[in-house]
Amino acid sequence: MTPRTGGRKLCGADELVFYDITASFEERTIFTDILKKTAERVFIPLTVGGGINTLDDFARVLACGADITEDSADKRSLAGIFLSYQAPVEVPGVPLYSYLRTITQKRPELKMTARKFRARVGEIAEQLDMDSSFITRELNVGFSGGEKKKIEMLQLLLLQPKLAILDETDSGLDVDALSVVSRGIEAYRASCDGALLIITHNTRILERLSVDHTHVMVRGRLVAEGPGSLIDDIDAHGFEQFEVAAQAAGA
Amino acid sequence: MKDQTTATPELTLERVNTPPAQTWNYLRANDITLTVPQLSRKGDVYFALPRLFEGIECGVGPQATAWVVSQAADARYVEVRAGERKAEPIVVDVDANDGDVHDVGIMVRAGAEACVVVNVHGTDGEPATSGALVRIIAERGAKIRVLEFVAAGSAQQHVESVGIQAAQDARVSVRQYFLCAGTLVAGIATSLDGDGARIDHACRYLVREREVADINHVVRQRGRNTRADVRETGVLDGHAKKALRATIDLVHGSKGSEGTELESVLMLSDDVTNKTVPTILCDEDDVSGNHGASIGPVGPEQFQYLRDRGLTQQEAEALYVRALFDEALIAAPTPEVRANVLARARMVLGDDVANDLVEGLGLNEEGA
Amino acid sequence: MSEKTQKRTQVADVDRSLYDFIYSEEGYERYDDGLTPDIVRAISAKKDEPEWMLNMRLAALETYHTKEMAPNWGPSIAGLDMDHISTYVSPKTKQAKSWDDVPDDIKNTFERLGIPEAERESLAGVGAQYDSEIVYHNMREEVSKEGVVYTTIEDALHDPQWEPVVRKYFGTLIPPADHKFAALHYAVWSGGSFVYVPEGVTVAYPLQSYFRLNAEGAGQFEHTLIIVEKGADLHFIEGCSAPKYYEANLHAGAVELFVKDGARLRYSTIENWSKNMYNLNTKRARVAADAKMEWVSGSFGSHVSYLYPTTILQGDRSSCEFTGITFAGATQDLDTGCKVILNGANTTASVDTKSISKDGGCNTFRSSVVIGRHAQNARASVSCQSLMLDDISRSDTIPAMDVRNATASVGHEATIGRISDDTVLYLMSRGCSEAEARTMVVGGFANPVSKELPLEYAVEMNNLIKLEMEGAIG
Repeated sequence: MTPRTGGRKLCGADELVFYDITASFEERTIFTDILKKTAERVFIPLTVGGGINTLDDFARVLACGADITEDSADKRSLAGIFLSYQAPVEVPGVPLYSYLRTITQKRPELKMTARKFRARVGEIAEQLDMDSSFITRELNVGFSGGEKKKIEMLQLLLLQPKLAILDETDSGLDVDALSVVSRGIEAYRASCDGALLIITHNTRILERLSVDHTHVMVRGRLVAEGPGSLIDDIDAHGFEQFEVAAQAAGA
Repeated sequence: MKDQTTATPELTLERVNTPPAQTWNYLRANDITLTVPQLSRKGDVYFALPRLFEGIECGVGPQATAWVVSQAADARYVEVRAGERKAEPIVVDVDANDGDVHDVGIMVRAGAEACVVVNVHGTDGEPATSGALVRIIAERGAKIRVLEFVAAGSAQQHVESVGIQAAQDARVSVRQYFLCAGTLVAGIATSLDGDGARIDHACRYLVREREVADINHVVRQRGRNTRADVRETGVLDGHAKKALRATIDLVHGSKGSEGTELESVLMLSDDVTNKTVPTILCDEDDVSGNHGASIGPVGPEQFQYLRDRGLTQQEAEALYVRALFDEALIAAPTPEVRANVLARARMVLGDDVANDLVEGLGLNEEGA
Repeated sequence: MSEKTQKRTQVADVDRSLYDFIYSEEGYERYDDGLTPDIVRAISAKKDEPEWMLNMRLAALETYHTKEMAPNWGPSIAGLDMDHISTYVSPKTKQAKSWDDVPDDIKNTFERLGIPEAERESLAGVGAQYDSEIVYHNMREEVSKEGVVYTTIEDALHDPQWEPVVRKYFGTLIPPADHKFAALHYAVWSGGSFVYVPEGVTVAYPLQSYFRLNAEGAGQFEHTLIIVEKGADLHFIEGCSAPKYYEANLHAGAVELFVKDGARLRYSTIENWSKNMYNLNTKRARVAADAKMEWVSGSFGSHVSYLYPTTILQGDRSSCEFTGITFAGATQDLDTGCKVILNGANTTASVDTKSISKDGGCNTFRSSVVIGRHAQNARASVSCQSLMLDDISRSDTIPAMDVRNATASVGHEATIGRISDDTVLYLMSRGCSEAEARTMVVGGFANPVSKELPLEYAVEMNNLIKLEMEGAIG
């Protein structure tokens, strides 16, 4: 893979990337350390309330939706944190239109007339190359993996969250679907004043993005951190170096 | 005929909406018994459908079908010529306040396309019984769309019966929006007689307060390589009682056929009763039959997803109800139907949401 | 090869003659065909029963004569003429505690069915019924030392310690008025088992009752009553078979199971009645708080079956699992399934059934899941898969769900289809004959059920499948 050059801002940071090469690793409290460090440099709405008051809350956020007993998921969402699903859930009986309208209406900052809303959804759909008939279909029901990711990106752009966490959003996507996700991320950066936290196994999705901070994790340990250019290093030399480092640290 | 209170002779219809195969009788899920008025609207000479319509199996069963036939002043026969693409829908307008009863036969000739719309509308406070019987013969390669909208009053009962015969390569599409009635008895039976005939059937229902909905869906797959796809999605609230019987019958000779039926029921109140009897009858080997049902509150996965996008449980539940009206409005083909759906939306969801639906879907006020 | 594997190979080479042999019933005590109060009195008198039992029998007989079968119900039982069924046939022997005391022909029967061998190897106790009476009953000493009781209901009724217990439970879970054949059962019941497992006792090995109906044109009406006290644990196995006759035989047993707080009961059945049998059996379990009921059911035999084991999850957090397979071949019309009633809060039920139809056989899977008004957070899932092996057979699936609690959730899925040609071709390309390939696929289909059974019984079930699959390719 060719190392990328240019297009990377090192100041005005608003984006942060994790390499999560141990997705199955259970103890993710390591994230809180990373967040603590990163929060010093990057704007993350850790104090916006709505259930996200402590780093523990955040650790649960990062457990990515698996935490069903969590009482404040809706408040967390309203506070401006968007959690993208790896496998978006099918919701039979609810057309995409009704769903999108309902979730926007919950957010006072997005208050708009139904007519304007429809136009806005149309715009975003066009941006993402979506067929307008999507809107009347049931939410995620019978959609392909790529189409489901498009719907996630559509929501990302519609809701304009302050922090978007994309947990392995790129896993299992083909090239076309991957470019949809990249396009969505780009559009988010262009239009929203928020931060992105991307957790991923491979650098493909990052090719067209400018990354501010990179953290590398191996088996639940933070083994390296650095600026966005760290990704080029990984592209050039692979992960092995980190795994060796992790072993050394663990020994 | 608004004033038909005590003097009207009545008739009790038994074993209405009985499916081809039944379960234990003590579960009281096999049929419904209905008391209906028996009026004589027919003149000395009246129009009846051609005899060949008599052979069509109808969803509510022979007794209730015969009642509808006996109550309609005249039958209405519509023929769509071979190859014709009929742009205007065939509308069956049922005023539930008046206890309207319609008996309609539609012949869709080879390769023709047509759409039939049943619009049942009524308001609270007027007890009455209405009925609509629609029998359809779809010849080879014909395409028929059936759209049903039912929103009758809480004191009204409506009998909705459909029977369809589909010849080779005929395509049947059914969309039902049961926004409900005091008692709704709705049955539809489709016989996929010809090879390659298909039905694609979606039924949405909302049953609330003390409403009763009794639904019977039967698909007989007789031809080779037929396809049936039946999906019911509904919401129950208040003291609603709902029964759904859905049968996929893979008749001997239907080699290569596939039948699928899926129901998902959202229960919003502890006082509701939901009965579901999904049946597959199979008399062939080279076929596939599938059934699925999920009954309960908003599924944990769905709920988590919706919460992650900012909705509380109540809002998530409300979304399902709103969604039903959004869908009905999107599907509504005429201003009259839109007005009917909107009137019910105002009643169920309130004016604010109803206005939002209208505006969001780019409709003019009151549906035009 | 170890001795154990050798034995299994022997079992594997089983053929039809294993089940299909008849011994003469000459000299047996056989009551007249038909149903009269006199016959009922005679059965009761022979058993020297308490009066309440005789009264119960007579009332049940009355109910039987007045109760109608529902007209829209199940497979036809027109071939069953009660005027030509003898309700009581007793072999001329006393109940034995040792196989040596069992008459040779009867002993040979059970030897050929492998019962004494299984008893030696893997069971805590065995009861063997021949026609209307139990001919052998024994339990390991260490099990009886723990206070476990495994006997016949007749014996329990003659024991002052257990008579009140039988009286308290007998006929309460399945009332005689439940349906026509329940009434018949209570009028003429004979034989069966009484099991009592005291609080906290885990019975390490299964108990088994085996029912053999040897006589022609006769009925078997055994009653099984099992009480598993708080925190106790039992696995009970029931087996049944009969030789083939041209006259109808009737089996109308009743099984009443009481599973108390925190207890667990597994009830396994391998039913292999001959194909002239009307198997109209009623089984029901009542499950208290935190207790668990597990059913494993394999139905292979009979001409007509109505069999729907019922579980009432009365206590909070109680649960049940039902795993079943039904194999319907030529001349068979088997209506099987189960019922679950969830009344307690946080109760769970899981039903997983398979059916196989071939040679014109008819299978009907019938189930009901009823979730009561107070069953907060109850969960039920039903999964039903049917396999069609040819185009002259039939398979119907008729599940019903009645849900009255909005916090409860019910999931149901059913599929019907056939063995895919691709699978068969794949196996054939690896050197299997078509028949072998199909048998292999059917065996795999049945595997979720056989893996729930103790090894010996799994082997028996797999052999039954092989037997049924013979000549499946026309």
